[in-house]
Amino acid sequence: MSRTRPIFTASFRAGAGEGFATFLPLSVGLVPWALVMGMAMTSAGFTPLQAMGMNIIVFAGTAQLGTLPLIAGEAPLWLIVATALALNLRFVIFSAAIAPGFRGVAMPKRWLAGHLLTDGVFATCLDKMLHTDDPHWRLGYYLAPAVWSWALWQTFALVGIYAAGFIPKQWSLEFMATIALIVLLVPMARVRPMLVAALVGGASATLLRNMPLRLGVVVAIVAGIAAGFAAEHWEHKAKGR
Amino acid sequence: MNYDTSLWLIFVLIGLATTLPRAGFIVLGSRVALPPVLQRALRYAPAAALAAIVAPDVLVVGGQIEPLNPKLAAAGVAVAAAALSRNPWLPFIAGMAVLLGLRHWLGA
Repeated sequence: MSRTRPIFTASFRAGAGEGFATFLPLSVGLVPWALVMGMAMTSAGFTPLQAMGMNIIVFAGTAQLGTLPLIAGEAPLWLIVATALALNLRFVIFSAAIAPGFRGVAMPKRWLAGHLLTDGVFATCLDKMLHTDDPHWRLGYYLAPAVWSWALWQTFALVGIYAAGFIPKQWSLEFMATIALIVLLVPMARVRPMLVAALVGGASATLLRNMPLRLGVVVAIVAGIAAGFAAEHWEHKAKGR
Repeated sequence: MNYDTSLWLIFVLIGLATTLPRAGFIVLGSRVALPPVLQRALRYAPAAALAAIVAPDVLVVGGQIEPLNPKLAAAGVAVAAAALSRNPWLPFIAGMAVLLGLRHWLGA
């Protein structure tokens, strides 16, 4: 028996090589994100230790950027957590979609894989994960891009954290976080019902901004979901006619 | 601003609110499935949540809705850059240039 851990079998390495090669060009897009994330956390007043702590514990650009203004504005804890949940809900769907790709994979590795699930990794790996039999190959194909994303994210967030210290406050770097949220939102809103959900969510949050405990944000999210869902229904009906 | 140790509690809770939705179905495997109606409705949560955070930030100045302000103009340019270009840096460069340029020009 070889002493090598069974996870690093030849087929795992083959899958890892192929997954990494597919993902590498896409992963460049993570760099500006991670830099902005580091700068935004510093602008919110986090020490480098706090910022890296958040980056490692949370590991989710959208949830981090989205909760940052709430944390800085001393919003109640439940609202911060509810907002993070709302921003992560898409991963429930991603997780359900990619889950069959982990058949034959042991539990601890599944937790690791779940923690490392990102939009880019999901989009890259889904197809091959569902249509390959060898569980070692599949796990390699998933974990190589996932771990690479993690390493890029941590490295460039750290660069951003220290870069922010050299930039004067009048430059309003915290606005980079708002732009980052916009960059996430724009491709979603290309589909009509999604655009409706965003418009209703944004308008409601603006009009309800004076609700106590910042409840307006939650009401706005629910209103946005309902509006998007309704728009989808009407679109279907209009097409059916 | 200074934060106390409760900041770490916030991180852990946001971390749970992040890892559980992601790992849930991967860990549970095929034993459970979400009702299709709920799955379809949940797809709209991220767009609604993102807009609910961004819109007040760029529309409200000092508690009042201001349809003409440098942040909103910068956000508009960032939207256009993100929609029309595949360069991942452009929305940041163009948005920040408009924000800082307008503020400088308005003398604020």
